[in-house]
Amino acid sequence: MLLEARGIVKSFGAFRAVDGADLAVAEGDIIGLIGPNGAGKSTFFNVLAGDTAATAGTITFDGRDITRATPEEHAQLGIARSFQVPVTFEDMSVAENVLVGAFLRHPGRAAAEAATAEVLEFTGLAPLADGRARSLGTPGRKRLEIARALATEPRLLLLDEALAGLTPVEVRAAIELVRRVHARGITLVIVEHIMEVILTLAHRAVVFHQGRVIADGTPRAVVADPAVVSAYLGRSMSRRAAPR
Amino acid sequence: MRAALVVAALFLALAAWPLLVGDVFYQRVGALVLLAAISASAWNLIGGYAGQVSVGHAVYFGAGAYASLMVYNQLGWPPIAGAPLGIAVSLLLATVTGLPTFRLRGHYFSMATIATTELVRLLVTNWELLGAAVGLMGPAVPRSVADLQFNDPRIYYWIFLGVLALLLGLTWAMQRGRMGYYLRAINGSDRAARSLGVPVRRFKLYALLLSATFTSLAGTLYGVMVGFADPDSVLGVLVSVKMVIIAALGGAGTLFGPLIGAVILVPLEEATNAAFGGSGTGITYVVYGAVILLIARFRPGGLAELGHALARRVRRAP
Repeated sequence: MLLEARGIVKSFGAFRAVDGADLAVAEGDIIGLIGPNGAGKSTFFNVLAGDTAATAGTITFDGRDITRATPEEHAQLGIARSFQVPVTFEDMSVAENVLVGAFLRHPGRAAAEAATAEVLEFTGLAPLADGRARSLGTPGRKRLEIARALATEPRLLLLDEALAGLTPVEVRAAIELVRRVHARGITLVIVEHIMEVILTLAHRAVVFHQGRVIADGTPRAVVADPAVVSAYLGRSMSRRAAPR
Repeated sequence: MRAALVVAALFLALAAWPLLVGDVFYQRVGALVLLAAISASAWNLIGGYAGQVSVGHAVYFGAGAYASLMVYNQLGWPPIAGAPLGIAVSLLLATVTGLPTFRLRGHYFSMATIATTELVRLLVTNWELLGAAVGLMGPAVPRSVADLQFNDPRIYYWIFLGVLALLLGLTWAMQRGRMGYYLRAINGSDRAARSLGVPVRRFKLYALLLSATFTSLAGTLYGVMVGFADPDSVLGVLVSVKMVIIAALGGAGTLFGPLIGAVILVPLEEATNAAFGGSGTGITYVVYGAVILLIARFRPGGLAELGHALARRVRRAP
């Protein structure tokens, strides 16, 4: 397994946002993390990224224990991420944003610039390279976050709602990009609300509800699972939905 | 290539300036402008590029100034020999105060820097060895050239210009390399920078150490030139605020911003001091307040940004 999380618990005071979740990601996987609002998937995601420390449980990456590793250590080991609300370096140009990521593997400026040019070309951001990050709209920012993450040359990319808030046309372009990222040999874990994305992209879907994993399987099997349906709609809702 | 020529021409013009101006008063103001530009450019490394707005840099300036007068008073050495001592003390202070305060963000970091510097100021005010509230004096008459006591302010002017050129050269090299981009990324977002593998606290510390070194050197040069230091004149909050305002006025996080800010603010301050005499120190606060208001209202990026905006407009015009 490339990434393995066991018995992850994350408490905020008495509240357990993540309550004993497990996840195993094999090299080459595309995993979709789904679940209703407040299910704990974003908290779980931030634990995986090293942004917040787990209260209990262990995480290993490529056989190495990374439970207590910092975000910068994650990047060094080859785990990159995007943010739910894009956090670009606003006053820097698009190319400079990517360059910051490229410096991780290429401390010299010339090599970092060459790597940056390749990533900008790959993500289709090359025409916007000299514009400031603040001039980009939401789709551009999300794309820039992916580009910046790719520049760190990761083995695993964690995408936190990288497609939320996009129009259907933009979603299709983003799905296309994610496919090409995967074709580069990068393993993906995607948190996503949009079912279409999970159904078209993910090899496996993992469903969160009240801090626990309630289903884990192929996307089609998971959406047909009664436990998943009731978690999304609520038991009383499904009863009320019956014809009167 | 053209930019390098412009910069070389600018420095030649700066070096020639005191030869063109006969009045000793203006030559002295010129030296003070360059001294202020050194400390503001040093502040700019951590406060501008890395965006960690220290309002306590007087502690390093004061360490440099006191070190120069201490080696004279205790050991009888020429004041300039205090530079390494001042830098060593500053590096120690920067490490001890920087590591815990880098956890703080935004205003909280600024307030912590004010607090630590005020604490040091109060300690020095009550420390007999350092002259307590009265302060320390340098040599009254030069014993040798090494004391660097000159009646001609132009000599200080050229010494300061050399130090400023060295500092700006280092800043330029840093700006172009990995460290420059890492600091700007930290300024943009700690969290995003860390996610890209930037060791945030380590690079903040590097920037602070380099910044403290040159701020301390500026303090030593001040001690050498003025030959006097007391807690208010080198450790007071106004000393810290002045560095922030000069850098912000010219453009924080830009190479020449602090120099531009110093060229504008220091003569303005000297003019108000001259106009109002001894009672003019209160006016300094008024000037600083007005500058803060104007920057915040009209040009948060400082004058350097205004220059870039104008250059873009000129280029766009046919």
